Amino acid sequence: MKEKNSSTDSTVPAAKSGKKIGRRDFLQGLAGVPVLGAFTLAALKQESYRRAARARKAAAAGGGEAPAELHVALIGVGAQGSVLLNSMLKIPGLRFQAVCDIWTDYNLKRAGNLLKKYGHEAALYQDYREMLDKEKGLDAVVIATPDFWHAEHAVACLRAGLNVYCEKEMSNSLEGARQMVLAARETGKLLQIGHQRRSNPRYRFCHDVLLKEIALIGRPVTAFGQWNRSAAPELGWPKKYEIPQAQLRRYGFDSMAQFCNWRWYRKLGGGPIVDLGSHQIDIFSWFLGANPSSVQASGGTDYYPKATHEWYDTVMATYEYATPLGIVRAHYKTQTTNGSLGYFEQFMGDQGTLLISESAGMGSVYREKANAPSWDEYVRKGYLTEPKLVEVKAEEESDALDVRETISPDEHKIALAFNDPYHKPHLENFFNAVRGKGSLNCPPEVAYESAVAVLKVNEAVEARRTLDFSPEEFRI
Amino acid sequence: MKETRLSGLQWTLLTALRMVIGWHYLYEGVAKLIKGNWSAYGFLMESKWILAGFFHSLAGNSAVLAVVNTLNIWGLILIGLGLILGLFTRLAAGAGILLILLYYVCNPPFVGLFYSIPMEGHYLFINKNLVELTALLVLSVIPTQQVAGLDRLLYKLWKK
Repeated sequence: MKEKNSSTDSTVPAAKSGKKIGRRDFLQGLAGVPVLGAFTLAALKQESYRRAARARKAAAAGGGEAPAELHVALIGVGAQGSVLLNSMLKIPGLRFQAVCDIWTDYNLKRAGNLLKKYGHEAALYQDYREMLDKEKGLDAVVIATPDFWHAEHAVACLRAGLNVYCEKEMSNSLEGARQMVLAARETGKLLQIGHQRRSNPRYRFCHDVLLKEIALIGRPVTAFGQWNRSAAPELGWPKKYEIPQAQLRRYGFDSMAQFCNWRWYRKLGGGPIVDLGSHQIDIFSWFLGANPSSVQASGGTDYYPKATHEWYDTVMATYEYATPLGIVRAHYKTQTTNGSLGYFEQFMGDQGTLLISESAGMGSVYREKANAPSWDEYVRKGYLTEPKLVEVKAEEESDALDVRETISPDEHKIALAFNDPYHKPHLENFFNAVRGKGSLNCPPEVAYESAVAVLKVNEAVEARRTLDFSPEEFRI
Repeated sequence: MKETRLSGLQWTLLTALRMVIGWHYLYEGVAKLIKGNWSAYGFLMESKWILAGFFHSLAGNSAVLAVVNTLNIWGLILIGLGLILGLFTRLAAGAGILLILLYYVCNPPFVGLFYSIPMEGHYLFINKNLVELTALLVLSVIPTQQVAGLDRLLYKLWKK
């Protein structure tokens, strides 16, 4: 053939280059092999990054062998106590020895039956003093009573030589909270307060890695938190299980209605800002690394009858924080009449935004394209997912993009899943500390600082002006 | 028809085009395979235009969807390997065209169709799927596999 000896011989299709298979045919025939080799190397490298990210996540989830059994009692097994009990039943190495609740015919019976189902023969008590007298060999007590009981219960248990996990808010009075801190110091026993986000692996990851280690959002400037709940009727109770009036009075309640809805009453609880807000205002202080320097607030019982809802059903508070990186203003809102958008906390800095919630579906960061360095490295390390492009919504009618609108930042999800019950890691942290492994994530001094910040909101609502915090207020 | 000879550079670039497209197919398949739980469900459910009913029905039946997922993953991998190695190249190109045509008609960028899955660009009638499809059409009629590819060897063996 003519082309055979031409200068472009090597590139001529095989059909025209003769029938013999030569060295050149082999070389050209195998031209794809080095490309495939390069592909394999690249794909393996990519996969190793993915594996490393997965291993890191698995390590964060933890694991270990069964520890020695701890003997545990519960005081208060109403709604919150049941949540804690259900979480504890998933923690190995606990022996439930006693349960105490003043609603003996209902709460106490229900908890006793549940424990029986899991093979725990717990002694049942109406009065915590009787329980502390009779039960020997306890290691720890978990307290989930109404706020106004916390100080008395926690102090008595600490003095009885027990380690205590007590629900938040630490107390409905700062004096009560102070007594708890002092009792823990005096007895040398552990006191963990139930700000459970402090042990949540997703929150810890945000705090330890995203904010502290790599300062993902840059210099923090503002924070926002909210907890919205739908309007709801007062809680009722089965009439045949009513607690006798005399017994209610003995434990500080005027009526069964008040007992069931204690959170709304001034002498018993602190209202939604304390029940809900304290979790999230605690996150403000933790993530910002500072206590607030002032607070102003507006609130009121705007929706429900004031007779049954002594505390404010709607509260908005604005804090100022002098953080190590500069001033941060933080706004918090709780309302109990519309549950839209649920609950979350959001931190904005000059390089990005962090949005986090105990609710597992929420947890994102948004990069400020104008100021932030590339986050590709954090995606490769498995800290963040690949960005989801947020489309700029250009006005349909206009030809040009509205120049007043900054291009929306890309959304990355926080690449750390957490599917356990919300309270489990915090309880585990407590029981591990009781066993001498690690320290508490929310010791009383930390929870006290949080109580100071939160309880002042109710004061600020009354005062109708900005209230300052002095640094001494947070110390005991 | 008069034959026009291509230069060495032209053959080389066309071969590179084939391998680049092959790489893309191969990794699309491999990545889905590695992910383990990948599914075409979201993509199919997003379907608009006149074939939407067909694609939605594929997604709606879990047994069918499992077959679709497997065919897609292994289709992508085999087409990718074929294009890179130049092995059964025309078959690979033809299958690649068919597969990408399905992607195209599932979610075509026609006037008046909007998708909630974010895209990385802006398209009207022509999107990257159609560009890749057209490139494969070109490659299906230019036998780069006879210049660089295992088909060159196969062809010669066959001829013997």
